[in-house]
Amino acid sequence: MNVTVNWLKTYIDFALSPSELADRLTMLGIEVESIKHLGAELAGVVVGKVTTIKPHPNADKLVLCQVDVGEAAALQIVCGAPNVTAGMLAPVATIGTELPNGITIKRAKLRGQESQGMLCSEKELGLAAQLASASGLMELPPTMSIGMPLAQALGLDDVVLELEITPNRPDCLSLIGVAREIRAETGNALKLPQVNLQEDETDIREMTAVTIDAPELCPRYAARVIRGVKVGKSPAWLQQRLESVGVGVINNIVDVTNFVLMEYGQPLHAFDYHKLADVKHGLANGALRRIVVRRAAEGEQLKTLDEVEHKLTSDMLVIADAEKPVALAGIMGGYDSEITAATCDVLLESAYFQPSSIRATAKALGMNTEASYRFERGADPGTVLPALDRGAQLIAELAGGTLCAGSVDVYPGQQPLVQLQLRPERVNFVLGTALEATEMDAILNRLGFHVKATDGEYQVTVPTFRSDVTREIDLIEEIARVYGYDNIPTTLPRGDIPVPAPEPRTEVRKRIKHFLLASGMMEAVNYSFCHPNCFEKIRLNKNNPLREALQLRNPLSPEMSILRTTLLPSLLENAQHNRNHQIDDIALFEMSTVFLVGGTSRPDSPVKEPERVAGILAGEIGGGVYGNPYRCPDFFDIKGVVEGILEVCGMTDYTIQQTAEPTFHPGRNAEVLLADRRLGIFGEAHPRVLENYALPYKAYLFEFDVEALVGTAEFSKRFEPIPIYPNVQRDLAIVVDADVLSDIPMALIYATGGTLVESVRLFDVYLGDQVPAGKKSLAYTITYHSATETLTDKAVNALHDRVVKRLNCELGAELRM
Amino acid sequence: MKAELEAIQAEALEALKAVKTPDALESLRITYFGRRGKLTDVMKGMGTLSKAERPAIGKLANEVRTTLTQAFEKATEALHHQQQAQQLEAESVDITLPGRKPAYGKAHPVMQTLERIEAIFSQMGFQVATGPEVEMEYYNFDALNTPADHPARDLHDTFYLEARGWKQHPQEEGEDARSERLLRTHTSPVQIRVMENQKPPVRIIVPGKAYRVDYDVSHTPMFHQVEGLLVDTHATFSELKGVLASFVRQMFGEQTQMRFRPHFFPFTEPSAEIDISCTVCQGKGCRSCGHTGWIEILGAGSVDPEVFHAVNYNPAEVTGFAFGMGVERIANLQFRIPDIRTFYENDLRFLRQF
Repeated sequence: MNVTVNWLKTYIDFALSPSELADRLTMLGIEVESIKHLGAELAGVVVGKVTTIKPHPNADKLVLCQVDVGEAAALQIVCGAPNVTAGMLAPVATIGTELPNGITIKRAKLRGQESQGMLCSEKELGLAAQLASASGLMELPPTMSIGMPLAQALGLDDVVLELEITPNRPDCLSLIGVAREIRAETGNALKLPQVNLQEDETDIREMTAVTIDAPELCPRYAARVIRGVKVGKSPAWLQQRLESVGVGVINNIVDVTNFVLMEYGQPLHAFDYHKLADVKHGLANGALRRIVVRRAAEGEQLKTLDEVEHKLTSDMLVIADAEKPVALAGIMGGYDSEITAATCDVLLESAYFQPSSIRATAKALGMNTEASYRFERGADPGTVLPALDRGAQLIAELAGGTLCAGSVDVYPGQQPLVQLQLRPERVNFVLGTALEATEMDAILNRLGFHVKATDGEYQVTVPTFRSDVTREIDLIEEIARVYGYDNIPTTLPRGDIPVPAPEPRTEVRKRIKHFLLASGMMEAVNYSFCHPNCFEKIRLNKNNPLREALQLRNPLSPEMSILRTTLLPSLLENAQHNRNHQIDDIALFEMSTVFLVGGTSRPDSPVKEPERVAGILAGEIGGGVYGNPYRCPDFFDIKGVVEGILEVCGMTDYTIQQTAEPTFHPGRNAEVLLADRRLGIFGEAHPRVLENYALPYKAYLFEFDVEALVGTAEFSKRFEPIPIYPNVQRDLAIVVDADVLSDIPMALIYATGGTLVESVRLFDVYLGDQVPAGKKSLAYTITYHSATETLTDKAVNALHDRVVKRLNCELGAELRM
Repeated sequence: MKAELEAIQAEALEALKAVKTPDALESLRITYFGRRGKLTDVMKGMGTLSKAERPAIGKLANEVRTTLTQAFEKATEALHHQQQAQQLEAESVDITLPGRKPAYGKAHPVMQTLERIEAIFSQMGFQVATGPEVEMEYYNFDALNTPADHPARDLHDTFYLEARGWKQHPQEEGEDARSERLLRTHTSPVQIRVMENQKPPVRIIVPGKAYRVDYDVSHTPMFHQVEGLLVDTHATFSELKGVLASFVRQMFGEQTQMRFRPHFFPFTEPSAEIDISCTVCQGKGCRSCGHTGWIEILGAGSVDPEVFHAVNYNPAEVTGFAFGMGVERIANLQFRIPDIRTFYENDLRFLRQF
């Protein structure tokens, strides 16, 4: 909401500069988002009087003007405007002025005659449309002081503050509300508008009756009638006030309702009295019109001022005349009863509506108006009459007409004023302060609360405009805020520090992340959303449960319409993004929750949110420099990453076996199993997956279930003695059938050597001319070692021979010489 | 014989001076010390000497042998050093050639910031707590004193999930069964979940993802928050100031100014927003801080009694405070990325910068 400094000063005196005021308001909780000096663009432009006009000796269309700008010497200004006349007052842009259109006024000669400034039009000054006269120079009222800065003369020497009002403070959605806050800060008195009503003889009750059929939605409804108005333009002061805070001007009647809205925060609505239906059968009190505040009938129709036809429901409150709805209560008036140039009698409404009802209706109809904004946050039932009277008075003043005597005020929902108990020691307990009770009392008084002290306790009466204050804690906040948060001491917590419970998840996550970073992969973070086609793109089986994803009801776009069940599509998209930007050394990982449907991980949620870690290697790895050239990653690079993750989690009992996920190359993929539980999968992306992500090279992927690792990771360590006896290494090259997996001979070597085999390392695999077709050669280095003695050659030879025999016996392995 | 020995010594020492290669040295050694070597021959001839001559000549012979042996050793060593020097010279490299740098990865900038925040609060005894991202309205709003008609619940702020058998769970009978599921709009619901399951004192931080329907240069639909909560028998607003002052000093530096500004959150009372002096202009006022000199980084306040009611804590017995901050915003005070959506493109040229 916008307020201006000059306007505020009509309600309270203060000696603060605009920036000081902004600072104080901000520190009271009304954040000032911007400060705008209205007349800033008119600096250098003054009111001038054209005293004499002479023809220009060298130009037919130009004249030489002598212009008085309040200084000793008049200025000579060359002018070409058709409406320039001697004696007129017009804006003069003096030398050095930069006009809003970017032109800077310089001392210049026009056709040989000196011009010491420029007489300006509205357009050249960038002034608002309502001030624009026909064409040519802007004609200023003869009453203006010559030489006065134009901004000041036009009332534009004002400063607009843009305020952010938090939803709990609807009372501050008005100039008077903000003025009350300034009172709390400065202690200065409030100057409320003085209302003097000139009423005629006709009792309002002869004009209209008001019935509230839905008091739960409308606790208070008041009205006045003004007859014989003349609808027209508002006076300049009113137009300026409204325009300065960004409210458009319409006509004097509507402008008054908007002015009072800004002034008091109370929305008013003006009906054209004669467009309200006659009461056909007459009312007991003789009223000619009848306002009925009621719920809409289901399906009832109403065309609002914005010319939109609404279909209403019985949850919505309407203002009806004797026959039909004429306004959507608290939101917008009806099109058919609006004020027009022909309006002569006005029924002015001021009411208090139940906030949640207004909010629900505005939301359901997609409407958001100045009125609904205030009502749905909570207007002040106590302001209904003062605002009505103020509006009626201004209409009568500005549009002529007379006020019927009295007002109708139906107030079925009147509540006693809220009384709260305040314990000064509680205030200091909660805030950590040492405030005197009298100080609290003074603060609350300045905020408009009434405080009564009895026996060290305070009874606080809450004014009607502070509907947000309902508890002692709310009073404590009021005291804290006005006392100043910055004045509250800064201390450290005194409580005991709770002892942290061990958190294995944190440890697993940390270890995996450190390992992946150390292995050269960059951490990615992706949105939790993805496109529903991603499952197709990574070729998940039709029956894969990962295809069952949660859908957003209001997604930003199809690309962000479901929640991820796997991290792989995001990483493939990252690879594609990088490839599209000529970055081809792609090594990325991400650790994040995914969202699975069905089953439960937490007792109160039907959604599982297990954590996953996934990675991608694609394009090139290596430094890409002399001595460390790029190379293409392969299956064993990703397998090494996977083995590293398992190792840092202390896992040893897992198995790796081939699987059949269509995401991967059928011959280059595997799963990691612990007992029967799948911990993760990895492999080379299927060529069609690569096509789907437009990747021109192979990509290797892994995805692990962090939850499974958390449950099985083993971090407890105990010292194992460093070997004291020397070990003996023997190389062994065997020729076996080409389809024998390399870990089978390895397992046999371990099994044969038992504890005497310390390690077996595969160092070569060979298929080719040197071995028969259908065979391959595997070469291992076996390290023999005993923890209890130095192994002799003889003992090692015997053991090694047994290994060779076993391999021959079980695999038909021949020694390769 | 004496003359002969002296001549051999002189001759050999002279010859050694001319030796340039290991081969020449070896053949010279053979010339003197070999089976047919000159010195060997002389030694062999010792038997022909008289008894009187023998001690003196013998002594001389030994001296000559020792001298020559030492001379040969010295020559061998010198030759070795000389050769080593030549080799070293031949082995010198162009040290401007590229190093073979081991590949290393970097944590995502938002995660780096998150980890720093976590580390600071964990020093102050705050433990990490987590909770689900798909939430019930109850935890995200109602229990946080945000009733159904609060503006923060507008559809345009919150991502809602398509209904999908939410009633299947046994515990979802009654009220909860009608509850919507949404993506949590803040990490605050974890406050409620922790307090439901734990007696005071509570001292937690909740790092995690949150979601709002927003997508522009300064908003991403998914973002990270760190929520903090401290509940004890006597936790005051002044302690909230102390905790956050300590955080601000550690996170942004000793010289950073901080101010507490009254604000409104449904789940805290009193509520505050916390500004720090602008990290770009040090409080002088610039474009980054909207010429105010201040940048908002935190929301905080004393826990509203309604929140304690929701978790069956007695507000007469406990008080507490909570705070929350956006990680991207804090990260960007340091990194100054003009469009924060860049964080989630995972462009390697971007990730490698941090």
